[in-house]
Amino acid sequence: MKIEDVVCTFCGCLCDDLVVEVENNRVCSVENGCTLANEKFMRDHRLKNPIRRDGNGWKAVSYDEAIRETAEILLDADRPLLYGWSGTHGEAQSVGVHLAELIGGVIDNTSTVCHGPSIMAIQEVGHPGCTLGQVKNRADVIVYWGANPIDAHPRHMSRYTTYADGFFIENAFRDRKVIVADVRQTESSAIADEFLKIDRGGDYAALSALRAIVRGKGDLIPSRVAGVTREQLFRVAEICMKAKFGAIFFGLGLTMSPGKYKNIRNAIELTQELNRHTKFTISPMRGHWNVYGSNEVFTWITGYPYAIDFARGIAFYNPGETTSVDILMRGECDACLVVASDPGAHFPRACAEHLARIPTVQIDPHVNATTHLATLQIPVAVTGIDAEGTAYRMDGVPIRARKLFTGSYPNDQEILEKIFARVKEAKRS
Amino acid sequence: MRVILNTGRTIRQGSYVERKTSADYMEEAASLNMNRMDMFELAVEDGNHIRVRSDHGEVVMKARAVEGLIRGQVFVCLGPYANHLVGPETHGTGMPDFKTTQVTLEPTTDPVPTIRELMERCGGVGYED
Repeated sequence: MKIEDVVCTFCGCLCDDLVVEVENNRVCSVENGCTLANEKFMRDHRLKNPIRRDGNGWKAVSYDEAIRETAEILLDADRPLLYGWSGTHGEAQSVGVHLAELIGGVIDNTSTVCHGPSIMAIQEVGHPGCTLGQVKNRADVIVYWGANPIDAHPRHMSRYTTYADGFFIENAFRDRKVIVADVRQTESSAIADEFLKIDRGGDYAALSALRAIVRGKGDLIPSRVAGVTREQLFRVAEICMKAKFGAIFFGLGLTMSPGKYKNIRNAIELTQELNRHTKFTISPMRGHWNVYGSNEVFTWITGYPYAIDFARGIAFYNPGETTSVDILMRGECDACLVVASDPGAHFPRACAEHLARIPTVQIDPHVNATTHLATLQIPVAVTGIDAEGTAYRMDGVPIRARKLFTGSYPNDQEILEKIFARVKEAKRS
Repeated sequence: MRVILNTGRTIRQGSYVERKTSADYMEEAASLNMNRMDMFELAVEDGNHIRVRSDHGEVVMKARAVEGLIRGQVFVCLGPYANHLVGPETHGTGMPDFKTTQVTLEPTTDPVPTIRELMERCGGVGYED
Protein backbone atom coordinates (compact mmCIF):
# COMPACT_ATOMS: atom_id res chain seq x y z
CA MET A 1 0.00 0.00 0.00
CA LYS A 2 1.36 3.43 -0.98
CA ILE A 3 0.73 6.28 1.45
CA GLU A 4 1.18 9.88 0.26
CA ASP A 5 1.98 13.09 2.17
CA VAL A 6 3.74 11.18 4.92
CA VAL A 7 5.48 13.31 7.57
CA CYS A 8 9.13 12.48 8.26
CA THR A 9 9.76 12.45 12.00
CA PHE A 10 13.52 12.85 11.95
CA CYS A 11 14.67 16.47 11.91
CA GLY A 12 13.02 19.81 12.56
CA CYS A 13 12.10 20.25 8.88
CA LEU A 14 9.22 17.77 9.35
CA CYS A 15 9.00 17.26 5.57
CA ASP A 16 5.40 16.30 4.82
CA ASP A 17 5.65 15.17 1.20
CA LEU A 18 7.05 11.65 1.51
CA VAL A 19 5.48 8.74 -0.34
CA VAL A 20 5.90 5.55 1.67
CA GLU A 21 5.03 2.01 0.66
CA VAL A 22 4.05 -0.38 3.45
CA GLU A 23 3.77 -4.17 3.21
CA ASN A 24 3.07 -6.49 6.16
CA ASN A 25 3.64 -3.82 8.81
CA ARG A 26 7.00 -2.86 7.37
CA VAL A 27 8.07 0.11 5.25
CA CYS A 28 9.46 -1.20 1.97
CA SER A 29 10.09 2.02 0.00
CA VAL A 30 10.38 5.77 0.57
CA GLU A 31 10.13 8.46 -2.11
CA ASN A 32 11.13 12.13 -1.71
CA GLY A 33 13.00 11.45 1.52
CA CYS A 34 16.60 12.43 2.26
CA THR A 35 19.24 9.95 3.44
CA LEU A 36 18.12 10.44 7.04
CA ALA A 37 14.47 9.71 6.19
CA ASN A 38 15.36 6.63 4.17
CA GLU A 39 17.41 5.23 7.05
CA LYS A 40 14.71 6.02 9.58
CA PHE A 41 11.85 4.39 7.68
CA MET A 42 13.66 1.55 5.95
CA ARG A 43 16.05 0.33 8.64
CA ASP A 44 13.85 0.57 11.67
CA HIS A 45 15.27 -1.81 14.29
CA ARG A 46 13.56 -1.98 17.70
CA LEU A 47 14.07 -3.42 21.13
CA LYS A 48 11.59 -6.32 21.19
CA ASN A 49 10.25 -6.16 24.74
CA PRO A 50 10.84 -4.36 28.05
CA ILE A 51 14.12 -5.32 29.72
CA ARG A 52 15.37 -4.96 33.27
CA ARG A 53 18.92 -5.03 34.57
CA ASP A 54 19.48 -8.20 36.57
CA GLY A 55 22.84 -8.18 38.35
CA ASN A 56 25.41 -8.13 35.58
CA GLY A 57 22.90 -9.15 32.92
CA TRP A 58 19.44 -8.34 31.63
CA LYS A 59 16.11 -10.11 31.64
CA ALA A 60 12.87 -9.60 29.76
CA VAL A 61 9.90 -8.29 31.76
CA SER A 62 6.27 -7.62 30.90
CA TYR A 63 4.93 -4.15 30.16
CA ASP A 64 2.81 -4.26 33.34
CA GLU A 65 5.84 -5.17 35.43
CA ALA A 66 7.94 -2.43 33.82
CA ILE A 67 5.24 0.20 34.36
CA ARG A 68 4.77 -0.83 38.00
CA GLU A 69 8.49 -0.69 38.65
CA THR A 70 8.87 2.70 36.96
CA ALA A 71 6.08 4.12 39.13
CA GLU A 72 7.80 2.74 42.25
CA ILE A 73 11.15 4.22 41.25
CA LEU A 74 9.59 7.65 40.74
CA LEU A 75 7.63 7.45 44.00
CA ASP A 76 10.78 6.48 45.94
CA ALA A 77 12.85 9.32 44.52
CA ASP A 78 13.41 12.61 46.36
CA ARG A 79 14.77 14.45 43.30
CA PRO A 80 13.62 12.73 40.08
CA LEU A 81 14.68 14.07 36.67
CA LEU A 82 12.46 13.51 33.62
CA TYR A 83 14.59 14.12 30.56
CA GLY A 84 14.29 13.89 26.78
CA TRP A 85 10.90 14.38 25.10
CA SER A 86 12.06 15.68 21.68
CA GLY A 87 11.51 12.37 19.91
CA THR A 88 7.91 11.92 20.91
CA HIS A 89 4.62 13.61 20.12
CA GLY A 90 3.06 16.53 21.98
CA GLU A 91 0.33 14.47 23.65
CA ALA A 92 2.98 12.30 25.38
CA GLN A 93 5.02 15.39 26.32
CA SER A 94 1.93 16.81 27.99
CA VAL A 95 1.53 13.70 30.18
CA GLY A 96 5.21 14.00 31.07
CA VAL A 97 4.80 17.54 32.39
CA HIS A 98 1.81 16.53 34.54
CA LEU A 99 3.82 13.57 35.85
CA ALA A 100 6.72 15.86 36.79
CA GLU A 101 4.33 18.15 38.67
CA LEU A 102 2.74 15.20 40.46
CA ILE A 103 6.06 13.89 41.79
CA GLY A 104 7.70 17.31 42.35
CA GLY A 105 10.48 16.51 39.89
CA VAL A 106 12.49 18.34 37.26
CA ILE A 107 11.44 18.03 33.63
CA ASP A 108 13.86 19.02 30.90
CA ASN A 109 14.04 18.45 27.16
CA THR A 110 16.90 18.13 24.71
CA SER A 111 16.97 21.88 23.98
CA THR A 112 19.07 21.97 27.14
CA VAL A 113 21.98 20.75 24.93
CA CYS A 114 20.91 22.28 21.58
CA HIS A 115 18.93 25.53 21.36
CA GLY A 116 18.46 26.21 25.08
CA PRO A 117 20.81 29.20 24.78
CA SER A 118 18.73 30.45 21.82
CA ILE A 119 15.65 30.45 24.01
CA MET A 120 17.54 32.34 26.73
CA ALA A 121 18.50 34.98 24.16
CA ILE A 122 14.95 35.17 22.82
CA GLN A 123 13.71 35.72 26.39
CA GLU A 124 16.09 38.71 26.58
CA VAL A 125 15.49 40.40 23.22
CA GLY A 126 12.62 38.67 21.40
CA HIS A 127 12.41 36.62 18.24
CA PRO A 128 11.87 38.33 14.88
CA GLY A 129 11.08 35.05 13.12
CA CYS A 130 8.73 33.86 10.42
CA THR A 131 7.46 30.62 8.91
CA LEU A 132 9.50 28.67 6.38
CA GLY A 133 6.79 29.41 3.81
CA GLN A 134 7.61 33.13 4.03
CA VAL A 135 11.30 32.35 3.50
CA LYS A 136 10.60 30.11 0.53
CA ASN A 137 8.36 32.62 -1.22
CA ARG A 138 10.11 35.89 -0.37
CA ALA A 139 13.71 35.62 0.86
CA ASP A 140 16.39 36.68 -1.64
CA VAL A 141 19.23 36.50 0.93
CA ILE A 142 19.78 33.49 3.16
CA VAL A 143 22.37 33.36 5.95
CA TYR A 144 23.35 30.09 7.63
CA TRP A 145 25.44 30.88 10.72
CA GLY A 146 27.07 28.02 12.65
CA ALA A 147 24.84 25.59 10.79
CA ASN A 148 25.48 22.87 8.23
CA PRO A 149 22.05 22.10 6.73
CA ILE A 150 23.36 19.69 4.09
CA ASP A 151 24.36 17.29 6.87
CA ALA A 152 21.85 18.11 9.60
CA HIS A 153 18.71 19.18 7.68
CA PRO A 154 19.35 17.77 4.20
CA ARG A 155 16.18 19.09 2.54
CA HIS A 156 16.14 22.56 4.13
CA MET A 157 17.86 24.08 1.11
CA SER A 158 15.73 22.27 -1.48
CA ARG A 159 12.39 22.85 0.22
CA TYR A 160 12.79 26.37 1.60
CA THR A 161 15.93 28.22 0.57
CA THR A 162 18.76 27.79 -1.95
CA TYR A 163 17.06 25.50 -4.44
CA ALA A 164 13.37 26.20 -3.73
CA ASP A 165 11.57 28.40 -6.23
CA GLY A 166 8.93 30.56 -4.54
CA PHE A 167 6.06 32.94 -5.35
CA PHE A 168 8.34 35.97 -5.61
CA ILE A 169 11.52 34.00 -6.35
CA GLU A 170 11.17 32.43 -9.77
CA ASN A 171 14.68 31.03 -10.07
CA ALA A 172 15.91 30.41 -6.57
CA PHE A 173 19.38 29.18 -7.42
CA ARG A 174 20.09 32.30 -9.49
CA ASP A 175 18.10 34.87 -7.49
CA ARG A 176 18.94 33.97 -3.91
CA LYS A 177 22.28 34.90 -2.35
CA VAL A 178 23.54 32.42 0.23
CA ILE A 179 25.95 33.40 2.99
CA VAL A 180 27.49 30.80 5.30
CA ALA A 181 29.43 31.62 8.48
CA ASP A 182 31.30 28.78 10.19
CA VAL A 183 34.59 27.89 11.85
CA ARG A 184 35.20 25.08 9.35
CA GLN A 185 34.50 24.38 5.70
CA THR A 186 31.48 22.18 5.21
CA GLU A 187 29.36 20.90 2.32
CA SER A 188 27.09 23.87 3.00
CA SER A 189 29.87 26.46 2.94
CA ALA A 190 31.03 25.03 -0.40
CA ILE A 191 27.88 26.25 -2.17
CA ALA A 192 27.74 29.68 -0.52
CA ASP A 193 28.15 32.94 -2.45
CA GLU A 194 30.04 34.26 0.59
CA PHE A 195 31.72 32.06 3.18
CA LEU A 196 32.73 33.86 6.37
CA LYS A 197 35.37 31.60 7.86
CA ILE A 198 35.42 32.62 11.48
CA ASP A 199 38.14 31.96 14.03
CA ARG A 200 37.10 29.59 16.79
CA GLY A 201 35.14 31.53 19.39
CA GLY A 202 34.97 34.61 17.17
CA ASP A 203 31.26 34.58 16.29
CA TYR A 204 30.33 37.30 18.78
CA ALA A 205 33.02 39.63 17.42
CA ALA A 206 32.06 38.99 13.79
CA LEU A 207 28.38 39.63 14.55
CA SER A 208 29.31 42.82 16.40
CA ALA A 209 31.37 44.00 13.42
CA LEU A 210 28.42 43.45 11.07
CA ARG A 211 26.13 45.29 13.48
CA ALA A 212 28.53 48.23 13.54
CA ILE A 213 28.68 48.39 9.72
CA VAL A 214 24.90 48.15 9.38
CA ARG A 215 24.55 50.91 12.02
CA GLY A 216 26.87 53.19 10.00
CA LYS A 217 29.90 52.81 12.27
CA GLY A 218 32.02 50.94 9.72
CA ASP A 219 35.00 53.23 10.28
CA LEU A 220 35.54 51.47 13.61
CA ILE A 221 36.19 48.11 11.98
CA PRO A 222 39.84 46.95 11.95
CA SER A 223 41.39 45.18 8.95
CA ARG A 224 40.40 41.77 10.23
CA VAL A 225 37.77 40.62 12.76
CA ALA A 226 37.80 37.02 14.04
CA GLY A 227 39.68 35.93 10.93
CA VAL A 228 37.32 37.71 8.50
CA THR A 229 38.64 40.60 6.41
CA ARG A 230 37.14 44.08 6.68
CA GLU A 231 36.37 43.98 2.94
CA GLN A 232 34.36 40.79 3.23
CA LEU A 233 32.45 42.06 6.26
CA PHE A 234 31.46 45.20 4.30
CA ARG A 235 30.51 43.08 1.28
CA VAL A 236 28.30 40.80 3.37
CA ALA A 237 26.69 43.72 5.22
CA GLU A 238 25.88 45.33 1.86
CA ILE A 239 24.32 42.13 0.49
CA CYS A 240 22.14 41.96 3.61
CA MET A 241 21.13 45.64 3.55
CA LYS A 242 20.24 45.45 -0.14
CA ALA A 243 18.10 42.35 0.31
CA LYS A 244 14.37 42.63 -0.28
CA PHE A 245 13.83 39.99 2.38
CA GLY A 246 16.62 38.27 4.31
CA ALA A 247 16.49 35.21 6.54
CA ILE A 248 19.17 34.16 9.03
CA PHE A 249 19.22 30.54 10.19
CA PHE A 250 21.59 29.64 12.98
CA GLY A 251 22.75 26.34 14.44
CA LEU A 252 24.70 24.85 17.30
CA GLY A 253 27.86 26.54 16.04
CA LEU A 254 26.49 29.59 17.87
CA THR A 255 24.72 28.01 20.86
CA MET A 256 27.58 25.73 21.90
CA SER A 257 30.50 28.08 21.24
CA PRO A 258 32.03 30.48 23.74
CA GLY A 259 29.51 33.22 24.42
CA LYS A 260 26.61 30.74 24.14
CA TYR A 261 23.33 32.68 24.48
CA LYS A 262 25.10 36.03 24.10
CA ASN A 263 26.07 34.96 20.56
CA ILE A 264 22.39 34.45 19.75
CA ARG A 265 21.44 37.74 21.37
CA ASN A 266 23.99 39.46 19.17
CA ALA A 267 22.62 37.71 16.05
CA ILE A 268 19.07 38.76 16.95
CA GLU A 269 20.25 42.32 17.49
CA LEU A 270 21.99 42.24 14.08
CA THR A 271 18.61 41.21 12.65
CA GLN A 272 17.01 44.18 14.42
CA GLU A 273 19.64 46.52 12.94
CA LEU A 274 19.03 45.11 9.46
CA ASN A 275 15.31 45.81 9.86
CA ARG A 276 16.17 49.54 9.83
CA HIS A 277 17.08 48.98 6.17
CA THR A 278 14.93 46.09 4.94
CA LYS A 279 12.96 43.09 6.14
CA PHE A 280 15.09 40.48 7.93
CA THR A 281 14.18 37.49 10.09
CA ILE A 282 16.13 35.00 12.21
CA SER A 283 15.31 31.42 13.19
CA PRO A 284 17.06 28.52 14.91
CA MET A 285 17.67 25.30 12.96
CA ARG A 286 15.92 22.99 15.38
CA GLY A 287 17.39 19.48 15.35
CA HIS A 288 15.00 16.81 16.66
CA TRP A 289 11.70 16.56 14.83
CA ASN A 290 9.66 17.65 17.84
CA VAL A 291 12.09 19.53 20.04
CA TYR A 292 10.20 22.72 19.21
CA GLY A 293 7.05 20.89 20.29
CA SER A 294 8.57 20.09 23.66
CA ASN A 295 9.25 23.81 24.18
CA GLU A 296 5.69 24.67 23.12
CA VAL A 297 4.01 22.01 25.27
CA PHE A 298 6.16 22.75 28.34
CA THR A 299 5.49 26.47 27.93
CA TRP A 300 1.74 26.27 27.55
CA ILE A 301 1.49 24.11 30.67
CA THR A 302 4.15 25.64 32.95
CA GLY A 303 5.12 28.99 31.46
CA TYR A 304 8.68 27.80 30.79
CA PRO A 305 10.18 26.05 27.76
CA TYR A 306 12.63 23.61 29.41
CA ALA A 307 14.50 22.92 32.69
CA ILE A 308 11.40 23.20 34.90
CA ASP A 309 11.72 22.29 38.56
CA PHE A 310 8.52 21.42 40.47
CA ALA A 311 10.30 20.72 43.79
CA ARG A 312 8.78 23.86 45.33
CA GLY A 313 5.26 22.85 44.27
CA ILE A 314 5.30 25.54 41.59
CA ALA A 315 7.13 25.73 38.26
CA PHE A 316 10.65 27.16 38.69
CA TYR A 317 13.08 27.72 35.81
CA ASN A 318 16.75 28.64 36.07
CA PRO A 319 19.11 27.39 33.32
CA GLY A 320 22.47 26.53 34.83
CA GLU A 321 20.73 25.26 37.96
CA THR A 322 17.66 23.30 36.81
CA THR A 323 19.18 22.06 33.54
CA SER A 324 19.87 18.33 33.19
CA VAL A 325 23.64 18.47 32.68
CA ASP A 326 24.07 20.60 35.82
CA ILE A 327 21.76 18.39 37.90
CA LEU A 328 23.59 15.24 36.78
CA MET A 329 27.04 16.82 37.16
CA ARG A 330 26.20 17.71 40.77
CA GLY A 331 24.93 14.17 41.36
CA GLU A 332 21.71 15.74 42.54
CA CYS A 333 18.96 13.56 41.07
CA ASP A 334 18.30 10.16 42.61
CA ALA A 335 16.22 8.72 39.74
CA CYS A 336 15.88 9.54 36.06
CA LEU A 337 13.15 8.85 33.51
CA VAL A 338 14.54 9.22 29.98
CA VAL A 339 11.94 9.51 27.24
CA ALA A 340 12.77 9.54 23.52
CA SER A 341 16.39 10.66 23.67
CA ASP A 342 19.86 9.33 24.45
CA PRO A 343 21.74 11.23 27.17
CA GLY A 344 24.23 8.34 27.45
CA ALA A 345 25.52 9.29 24.02
CA HIS A 346 24.93 13.03 24.05
CA PHE A 347 25.78 14.21 27.57
CA PRO A 348 29.33 14.55 28.92
CA ARG A 349 30.77 11.41 30.49
CA ALA A 350 30.34 12.66 34.07
CA CYS A 351 26.57 12.80 33.48
CA ALA A 352 26.51 9.29 32.01
CA GLU A 353 28.33 8.04 35.12
CA HIS A 354 25.63 9.47 37.37
CA LEU A 355 22.87 7.93 35.24
CA ALA A 356 24.53 4.54 35.79
CA ARG A 357 24.63 5.12 39.58
CA ILE A 358 20.91 5.85 40.02
CA PRO A 359 17.75 4.01 38.91
CA THR A 360 17.35 5.14 35.28
CA VAL A 361 14.31 4.12 33.26
CA GLN A 362 14.34 4.64 29.52
CA ILE A 363 11.22 4.74 27.34
CA ASP A 364 12.54 4.43 23.79
CA PRO A 365 12.00 2.19 20.76
CA HIS A 366 15.71 1.54 20.15
CA VAL A 367 18.74 0.14 21.90
CA ASN A 368 21.09 3.08 22.37
CA ALA A 369 23.95 4.16 24.64
CA THR A 370 21.56 4.94 27.50
CA THR A 371 20.27 1.35 27.40
CA HIS A 372 23.58 0.16 28.89
CA LEU A 373 23.28 2.73 31.71
CA ALA A 374 19.63 2.09 32.49
CA THR A 375 18.03 -0.23 34.99
CA LEU A 376 14.90 -0.64 32.89
CA GLN A 377 13.93 0.06 29.27
CA ILE A 378 10.43 0.08 27.82
CA PRO A 379 10.19 -0.06 24.01
CA VAL A 380 7.41 1.91 22.35
CA ALA A 381 5.96 2.64 18.92
CA VAL A 382 7.68 5.23 16.71
CA THR A 383 5.62 8.36 16.06
CA GLY A 384 5.18 8.74 12.32
CA ILE A 385 5.54 4.99 11.70
CA ASP A 386 3.26 3.04 14.05
CA ALA A 387 2.06 5.89 16.28
CA GLU A 388 0.42 9.22 15.50
CA GLY A 389 0.61 12.57 17.21
CA THR A 390 1.29 16.29 16.97
CA ALA A 391 4.73 17.72 16.23
CA TYR A 392 5.97 21.29 15.78
CA ARG A 393 8.19 22.13 12.82
CA MET A 394 11.30 24.26 13.42
CA ASP A 395 9.29 27.40 12.59
CA GLY A 396 6.56 26.60 15.13
CA VAL A 397 3.99 25.22 12.68
CA PRO A 398 2.15 22.23 14.20
CA ILE A 399 1.91 19.20 11.92
CA ARG A 400 0.08 15.97 12.59
CA ALA A 401 2.29 12.90 12.12
CA ARG A 402 0.26 9.93 10.96
CA LYS A 403 0.44 6.26 11.75
CA LEU A 404 1.42 4.16 8.69
CA PHE A 405 0.27 0.88 10.19
CA THR A 406 -0.91 -0.55 13.50
CA GLY A 407 1.92 -2.45 15.13
CA SER A 408 2.26 -4.37 18.37
CA TYR A 409 3.99 -1.68 20.45
CA PRO A 410 2.14 0.72 22.77
CA ASN A 411 2.94 4.40 22.21
CA ASP A 412 4.71 6.78 24.63
CA GLN A 413 1.47 8.41 25.68
CA GLU A 414 -0.16 5.11 26.67
CA ILE A 415 2.86 4.05 28.74
CA LEU A 416 3.17 7.43 30.43
CA GLU A 417 -0.55 7.61 31.22
CA LYS A 418 -0.34 4.22 32.94
CA ILE A 419 2.69 5.32 34.98
CA PHE A 420 0.89 8.58 35.86
CA ALA A 421 -2.23 6.69 36.97
CA ARG A 422 -0.20 4.36 39.22
CA VAL A 423 1.73 7.24 40.79
CA LYS A 424 -1.47 9.22 41.35
CA GLU A 425 -3.18 6.24 42.92
CA ALA A 426 -0.23 5.61 45.25
CA LYS A 427 -0.12 9.28 46.28
CA ARG A 428 -3.86 9.24 47.00
CA SER A 429 -3.64 6.18 49.21
CA MET B 1 50.06 17.16 20.10
CA ARG B 2 47.58 19.61 21.64
CA VAL B 3 44.50 20.47 19.58
CA ILE B 4 40.95 21.78 20.01
CA LEU B 5 38.09 19.30 19.72
CA ASN B 6 35.01 20.49 17.88
CA THR B 7 31.87 18.34 17.71
CA GLY B 8 28.74 18.45 15.58
CA ARG B 9 26.30 16.58 13.43
CA THR B 10 27.25 14.66 10.29
CA ILE B 11 24.90 13.03 7.84
CA ARG B 12 26.38 9.60 8.55
CA GLN B 13 25.92 10.08 12.29
CA GLY B 14 22.30 11.09 11.66
CA SER B 15 21.74 8.14 9.35
CA TYR B 16 22.78 5.58 11.94
CA VAL B 17 21.66 7.41 15.09
CA GLU B 18 18.73 5.06 15.69
CA ARG B 19 20.99 2.02 15.25
CA LYS B 20 23.70 2.77 17.78
CA THR B 21 24.67 -0.88 18.12
CA SER B 22 25.64 -1.00 14.41
CA ALA B 23 29.19 -1.09 13.10
CA ASP B 24 28.28 1.85 10.82
CA TYR B 25 27.44 4.08 13.78
CA MET B 26 30.58 3.10 15.66
CA GLU B 27 32.71 3.74 12.59
CA GLU B 28 31.35 7.28 12.27
CA ALA B 29 31.17 8.19 15.97
CA ALA B 30 34.73 6.96 16.67
CA SER B 31 36.32 8.81 13.71
CA LEU B 32 38.70 11.59 14.62
CA ASN B 33 38.58 13.97 11.65
CA MET B 34 41.92 15.72 11.22
CA ASN B 35 43.90 18.10 9.08
CA ARG B 36 46.36 16.16 6.88
CA MET B 37 49.38 18.15 8.09
CA ASP B 38 48.55 17.38 11.72
CA MET B 39 48.36 13.70 10.78
CA PHE B 40 51.70 13.97 9.00
CA GLU B 41 53.29 15.57 12.04
CA LEU B 42 51.83 12.88 14.29
CA ALA B 43 53.01 10.21 11.79
CA VAL B 44 49.58 8.61 11.47
CA GLU B 45 47.54 7.58 8.44
CA ASP B 46 43.85 7.09 7.78
CA GLY B 47 42.52 4.39 10.08
CA ASN B 48 45.41 4.50 12.58
CA HIS B 49 44.38 4.59 16.21
CA ILE B 50 44.89 7.66 18.36
CA ARG B 51 44.50 8.08 22.09
CA VAL B 52 42.64 11.33 22.73
CA ARG B 53 42.91 12.81 26.21
CA SER B 54 41.22 15.77 27.84
CA ASP B 55 40.98 16.93 31.44
CA HIS B 56 37.76 14.94 31.65
CA GLY B 57 38.60 11.58 30.13
CA GLU B 58 40.35 9.65 27.41
CA VAL B 59 39.29 7.43 24.55
CA VAL B 60 40.91 5.71 21.57
CA MET B 61 39.59 6.78 18.15
CA LYS B 62 40.44 6.26 14.50
CA ALA B 63 42.19 9.00 12.50
CA ARG B 64 40.46 10.22 9.34
CA ALA B 65 41.90 12.90 7.04
CA VAL B 66 39.37 15.50 5.91
CA GLU B 67 39.42 18.73 3.95
CA GLY B 68 38.20 21.95 5.54
CA LEU B 69 39.73 21.69 9.00
CA ILE B 70 42.54 24.06 9.87
CA ARG B 71 45.59 22.78 11.71
CA GLY B 72 45.17 22.45 15.44
CA GLN B 73 41.49 21.54 15.21
CA VAL B 74 39.91 18.09 15.17
CA PHE B 75 36.27 17.24 14.60
CA VAL B 76 34.28 14.32 15.99
CA CYS B 77 30.57 13.86 15.36
CA LEU B 78 28.42 14.24 18.44
CA GLY B 79 28.10 10.97 20.31
CA PRO B 80 29.56 8.85 23.10
CA TYR B 81 33.20 9.04 21.92
CA ALA B 82 33.30 12.84 21.78
CA ASN B 83 31.40 13.07 25.04
CA HIS B 84 33.98 10.94 26.80
CA LEU B 85 36.19 14.02 26.48
CA VAL B 86 33.79 16.94 26.95
CA GLY B 87 33.54 18.43 30.44
CA PRO B 88 30.18 18.93 32.18
CA GLU B 89 30.71 22.60 33.19
CA THR B 90 27.98 24.80 31.68
CA HIS B 91 28.99 28.25 33.00
CA GLY B 92 25.46 28.82 34.24
CA THR B 93 23.85 28.23 30.83
CA GLY B 94 22.98 24.51 30.95
CA MET B 95 25.14 24.00 27.85
CA PRO B 96 28.57 22.31 28.11
CA ASP B 97 31.49 23.40 25.90
CA PHE B 98 30.82 20.90 23.11
CA LYS B 99 32.79 22.94 20.56
CA THR B 100 35.96 23.87 22.39
CA THR B 101 37.56 21.06 24.40
CA GLN B 102 41.36 21.06 24.62
CA VAL B 103 42.68 17.58 23.93
CA THR B 104 46.02 15.89 23.37
CA LEU B 105 46.64 13.27 20.66
CA GLU B 106 49.00 10.33 20.85
CA PRO B 107 49.28 7.42 18.39
CA THR B 108 48.47 4.05 19.91
CA THR B 109 47.87 0.44 18.91
CA ASP B 110 45.18 -0.02 21.56
CA PRO B 111 41.76 -1.00 20.18
CA VAL B 112 38.86 1.41 19.74
CA PRO B 113 36.29 0.53 22.42
CA THR B 114 32.71 -0.30 21.46
CA ILE B 115 29.88 1.92 22.71
CA ARG B 116 28.89 -0.85 25.05
CA GLU B 117 32.42 -0.86 26.52
CA LEU B 118 32.36 2.93 26.87
CA MET B 119 29.10 2.77 28.80
CA GLU B 120 30.44 -0.09 30.96
CA ARG B 121 33.36 2.17 31.85
CA CYS B 122 30.76 4.68 33.03
CA GLY B 123 29.34 2.05 35.37
CA GLY B 124 26.68 0.59 33.09
CA VAL B 125 25.88 -3.03 32.27
CA GLY B 126 26.18 -3.91 28.59
CA TYR B 127 23.08 -5.11 26.81
CA GLU B 128 23.50 -7.44 23.83
CA ASP B 129 20.88 -6.58 21.19
